Amino acid sequence: MHGEDRLGHSRAGMPPALRRGAIVSTVLHVVIIAAVLIGIPIVQPPEPPQETAVAMVFAGTAASSMQAPQIAQVPAPSNAAPAPPAPEVTQPPKPQPIELPPPPPPPPPAPPPQAAPAPPTPTPPAPTPPPTPALAPPAPPPPQTQPTPPQPNPPQQARPLPLPPPPAPPPPAPQSATSQPNPTKNPAANSQALDNTLEKLRQLAEQKQPPKARYNPQAGGAPNGGGNPLGNDTAALNADQRGAIGDHVRPCWTTDPGMLDLDKMQVLLTVTTDPTGVARQAVVAPEDLGRVAADPRLRVFSERAVRAVMSPQCANLPLPQSMLGKTNVLTFRFSP
Amino acid sequence: MLHLPHPVIGRRPLFLGAAGTAMALAARVPVRAQPAAPTQGGPPGGAGGQPSAAIDVNHARSAPIPIAIPDLIGADGNSAQLGRDISQVITNDLGNCGLFRPLPPASFIQVAPGQGETPNFPNWAAVGAQALVIGRAEVQGGNIRVEFRLWDVLPQAQIQGAAYTTAQSNWRRIAHIMADVIYERLLGEKGYFDTRLCYISGTGPRDRRTKRLAIMDQDSENNRFLTDGRWLVLTPRFHPTRDEIAFMSYANDRPRVYLFDLQSGQQSMLGEFSGMTLAPRFSPDGSSVIMAITSGGGSEIVVVDLASRASHRLTDSGAINVSPCYSPDGSQIVFNSDRDGDQQLYIMGAGGGGAKRISFGSGKYATPVWSPRGDLIAYTRFGGAEGNFSIGVMHPDGSGERLLAEGWDVEGPTWAPNGRVMMFESQSRAQNARGAGYSSHLVSVDITGFNQRIAPTPTDASDPAWSPLGA
Repeated sequence: MHGEDRLGHSRAGMPPALRRGAIVSTVLHVVIIAAVLIGIPIVQPPEPPQETAVAMVFAGTAASSMQAPQIAQVPAPSNAAPAPPAPEVTQPPKPQPIELPPPPPPPPPAPPPQAAPAPPTPTPPAPTPPPTPALAPPAPPPPQTQPTPPQPNPPQQARPLPLPPPPAPPPPAPQSATSQPNPTKNPAANSQALDNTLEKLRQLAEQKQPPKARYNPQAGGAPNGGGNPLGNDTAALNADQRGAIGDHVRPCWTTDPGMLDLDKMQVLLTVTTDPTGVARQAVVAPEDLGRVAADPRLRVFSERAVRAVMSPQCANLPLPQSMLGKTNVLTFRFSP
Repeated sequence: MLHLPHPVIGRRPLFLGAAGTAMALAARVPVRAQPAAPTQGGPPGGAGGQPSAAIDVNHARSAPIPIAIPDLIGADGNSAQLGRDISQVITNDLGNCGLFRPLPPASFIQVAPGQGETPNFPNWAAVGAQALVIGRAEVQGGNIRVEFRLWDVLPQAQIQGAAYTTAQSNWRRIAHIMADVIYERLLGEKGYFDTRLCYISGTGPRDRRTKRLAIMDQDSENNRFLTDGRWLVLTPRFHPTRDEIAFMSYANDRPRVYLFDLQSGQQSMLGEFSGMTLAPRFSPDGSSVIMAITSGGGSEIVVVDLASRASHRLTDSGAINVSPCYSPDGSQIVFNSDRDGDQQLYIMGAGGGGAKRISFGSGKYATPVWSPRGDLIAYTRFGGAEGNFSIGVMHPDGSGERLLAEGWDVEGPTWAPNGRVMMFESQSRAQNARGAGYSSHLVSVDITGFNQRIAPTPTDASDPAWSPLGA
């Protein structure tokens, strides 16, 4: 009741200057909306260049395809012609392996891309999760949304008054709907209205000063200055828990001690566990993808790390009770 | 092949160096997970740095990769037999290298899936397989077509696939090539199975020994003799790119270096020199041969251009400089010399001069060979406190010296083309002047010092030389 009185008093007592401002504001809003509505059809993305259809025949993995020329360069059957009869010398038969396109890869679990008339390959079965060791405690039921009790409607202390009717729109300007009466102040070359607006917004949003906010541990702030946008749960483990998980995986972690530069190798894996704590997926962490792709030895090193954490003997990770019952994403660092 | 016990590790653990010791201990000493130490060569884990909270897994064990290699499928009897033969060769190659553990077929839960079928991965994971080779062989007249796929069992993904068509007589080589592909994909380094070994075959009583140049596949198959044994032959060396061997022959009782063309069987003399020519080796690009020529009371190192046959002397110390070998990039030469009194290893630039000594252990060092990977130099050491011969490796700067094999007479190391395995000759002591009880055979060993194996040969064998890959 109190608020109603205040609002009513405010509307009745609106000075003329404010009323003019409200009218001007309303008119400007209408104009902007009209401009956007008219401009949208104009702002059409340039048509993409028409692609030229290229017929591709997919013939196996990239790696094996890359090897094809090398294998094909094996010496031709030059020994087919009998060598001159050297005394007691028998020519070694020179095999001539002819590299064929490698066989097609197995069909991916997802519908194959519209690539090529690959030979018919059956759809592989859906990946079967490895058997879950019985050591894992039973997973607690997933948290369910608690039914909220019906809330009694509180008595409405204040009811907003109906807004005043909007002022009548100004008469339409006698101009073309596709022309701009006022030239843009700073048009970009070959730009369009929406692009200009977005560019201005980007410039306005540019941060030109360092952030002033500070992490506050007393207030429960996350360590290292903020939360993990990727949702990694490793930070929720203390050092002992991380050590216990590392100890659990170590028996399955093997390397080739004769590998060149083994002592310099290290790789990060992102491991996803299911609610029972079993590792279900292990992939190279994004920050290491480039290094792994560029170094065949490091790729092999990372693959052995994946096998270690996915091994049936070691995949059942000793996660703390608080992390069970939900999917967790953990970061592993494998080194020799 | 026979599996020999490792003779060195128990006796001289200090020479194993850090790598060997760490490997020997890693499997037995439980170590609590520790934060990884910073590594060389740039920050691991990405350019930006390490995540502060990561689960460290370190102190890896050394273990071969368990791999299942069921017989390749064949539609008819001949094809099925071919598939069995190829699978057996692949199994032998991978198993003998010591880095894979082929699983016994009797343990397989299921037979190999058919053409185009995806393996039932849980069945293969249940038998402990981490890798799986599935393939198909087909005999088409006089030709064969072989294809295979390599599967990573736990991630359930195909990681390699290839197909080959060739004459049926080449089936063994196809099997070796397939084994090389699997080796490279799972270990990150080139394989060495599609290679050959050249060696000196010895027959007859020791005082009237007949020595012939011989060649065979790296798995001891297809052995052949290249010379008739009328003249003593020594130190064969493969050309890096051509089907050619350089060796030393005492033809007409004059020791000289000859070239043997494996395609034509023709031999040619490298050149006429005033002194004896010894221990030839090709340069990495195959354009020249480096060797030693006796000069006065010593010997000097000379490089001979194969196109012009022009020679150029690289040393002039008046000492005995022998056994030169190029580094893989051709920029340096390692050799042994007694210029400082004892016979030791030295390194100099490819143009000669600036020789720097790299070996300082007891005894004498000989026959240095630079690893194709460039990281190690293998050598023969003899004398010293024990008086035996030994095969060892050290880094090119002389550091990290460790012995891989030891015996009454072990010498003449040669590297597999991937620099991962070496082979040497091992002789047993004769019991009398006629050589009773004497034998000489070839032995391979991994650079970690493990997996010593005798390479079977039809006769006594010495002076092994390993061919390039695919030669």
